[in-house]
Amino acid sequence: MTNKIRDIICSVIMLAFGTMMIVVAKDIPNKLGDKDVGSGYVPTFIGICILIVAVSKLVLAITNKKPSANQKIKWTSDSLGGFGTIALMAVYMLTFEKVGFIIASVVYLFVQMMILSDKTNRKPVLFAIIAVALPVAVEALFVYAIKMPLPVGYLGFGG
Amino acid sequence: MVLEAFANVLNPVCLGLIWFGTMLGIIFGSVPGLSATMAVVLFLPMTFKMDPTRGIALLVGLYMGGISGGLISAILLKIPGTPSSISTVFDGGPMAEKGEAGKALGVGILYSFIGSVIGIIALAFISPLLAKVCLLFSAADYFGVAVFSLTIIAALSGKDMLNGLIAGLIGLALSMVGMAPIDAQIRYTFGNYQLLNGFEITVLLIGVFAVTDIILAGFGRKTLSASFQKKKWHLKGYGITMKEFVQQIPNVIISSIIGIGIGILPGIGGSTAGLIAYTTEKSRSKYPEKFGTGIIDGVIASESANNAVIGGSLVPLLCMGIPGNTVAAVFLGGLLVHGISPGPLIFDKNGAVVYGIYIALLVSSIFMLIFERLGLPIFAKLLDIPKHILLPIIMVMCCVGAFSSNSRVFDVKCVLFFALLGLFFKAFKIPSTPLIIGFILGSMFEENLRQALQASHGSWAVFVQRPICLCFLIAAVVFCTLTVRKNLKEKKAAEAAGEQFDTSEEEG
Repeated sequence: MTNKIRDIICSVIMLAFGTMMIVVAKDIPNKLGDKDVGSGYVPTFIGICILIVAVSKLVLAITNKKPSANQKIKWTSDSLGGFGTIALMAVYMLTFEKVGFIIASVVYLFVQMMILSDKTNRKPVLFAIIAVALPVAVEALFVYAIKMPLPVGYLGFGG
Repeated sequence: MVLEAFANVLNPVCLGLIWFGTMLGIIFGSVPGLSATMAVVLFLPMTFKMDPTRGIALLVGLYMGGISGGLISAILLKIPGTPSSISTVFDGGPMAEKGEAGKALGVGILYSFIGSVIGIIALAFISPLLAKVCLLFSAADYFGVAVFSLTIIAALSGKDMLNGLIAGLIGLALSMVGMAPIDAQIRYTFGNYQLLNGFEITVLLIGVFAVTDIILAGFGRKTLSASFQKKKWHLKGYGITMKEFVQQIPNVIISSIIGIGIGILPGIGGSTAGLIAYTTEKSRSKYPEKFGTGIIDGVIASESANNAVIGGSLVPLLCMGIPGNTVAAVFLGGLLVHGISPGPLIFDKNGAVVYGIYIALLVSSIFMLIFERLGLPIFAKLLDIPKHILLPIIMVMCCVGAFSSNSRVFDVKCVLFFALLGLFFKAFKIPSTPLIIGFILGSMFEENLRQALQASHGSWAVFVQRPICLCFLIAAVVFCTLTVRKNLKEKKAAEAAGEQFDTSEEEG
């Protein structure tokens, strides 16, 4: 992908977002009638601004003939590590309530540390100790000191 | 009355409570996701059975420590512990990366103290006068303030103004989610009742600033251990020479005045104060290009402004019962619980308590100066923890912080949504800071626009007929024009020199 394509994609996404803002704002009723501009007024204004900026960006991107515009963006990132982290976070956040803070955090911490570490600094025993100790300490702090219980989950673990 | 206040505050129990409050406040402020507001809310019930001065003294310590503590994670982790410390990240983070974490922390602590003291002096001596000026502000004037504050986006957009505008507009759009001001009309919730109150600023900050970085660490995990080097730091005193101290006097005075002014204006808060002070100092500086690369000027502007907000926010709170920001609103609740009714008569009815608040603030700022400095070796040790261990721990703390903001798991899920939004921004070279500014100012912008138009029966002339509003609008246009001109000048200079000017580059 080149810088030009990236800017065009960004403009198209923003065009879609701006249009969505305006379309949804159209259906917002004005409860106060003539006395007020209504709750849809500012969102419509923002939507129009987004469309103006998106169109400007699109035009600038298409007409950009500088060598840097066609420069290819190199993908040097570790996809497995990145998408693995996103997937792990999603699982953690989705199971946060169902299995409870402690269990979800223990699993997340251990797996995330394993993903981020390499062969030279991978210490599973240390990771396991931290993965268990931290959630237990945080749970104790919130439940006993701050008096704000964290999710215990269906298994009723913690709290 | 003043002597009575001294006697009430300067005793071992009250001093102990202020110390305890300040210490806890610093911890709450330093942990991303926890905040000064949360600290005051959580400990408010503990003060119910206390003598009013002692109870208020504890809350004062929590407030002061909570605001100041945010600088620790802002510098050591590049994650603002509280929204007030957003602008501290801009230069504090790069300073830590350059091996100047100790200096950044020392300077941050010292100028937090100086900003606080200037704010307290303003509170004690000029509060009645400033309160009178503030009484003159109408909805149209606040709209002018919001528009002026939004022009900060232009200065923080880096080399590509369009990308900055996109971020700012998305921030404004996100602030539209939930119940609208004035008529409570539900918007953009798409049937999800959890969105009725809109998005939490803490959740947005955690997602965009903290979790995005953790995901990026995943993408760059092969170089994670190689890029991690233990930061060596050395600090004498507060890390600042007498020459630097003298050079920074105009910066600290201007930034503190901005902090006091923003603190007095209801609904804005420390984050905006820090950003305005940072931008002002950048525009005023002889070397604006160095801002964002790790210089003390940025840290000083941000920290002195956000701490001066404390004194400023208490001016309308005590004189008129108007809280300047969220934590001041909670503080107001604390005063009412103890039978203290803020208003013009507060000095007659509860003079000893009011003077006690002044003294407690001063004592708390001194404790903050000592405790944070003494704790520096411990705080800086955070940098020694390997990133593959530290980042997952931060992630868990972020989720806990997001959950505890409203005690609901929905906010934890929102963190991931905002983290992915932050990732989208990184991928498309869109700066994140304007997003936060747009989000913070969105509701203020809309509410005051609609209120002003209601009061003027729909006439837009109200915005040019009000002198205060007109001044802010003119200032906004001038500021925006100057920034655009400056950007174009830099672009032309770069092109003339044959350098490549990538318009998609993110701000420093």
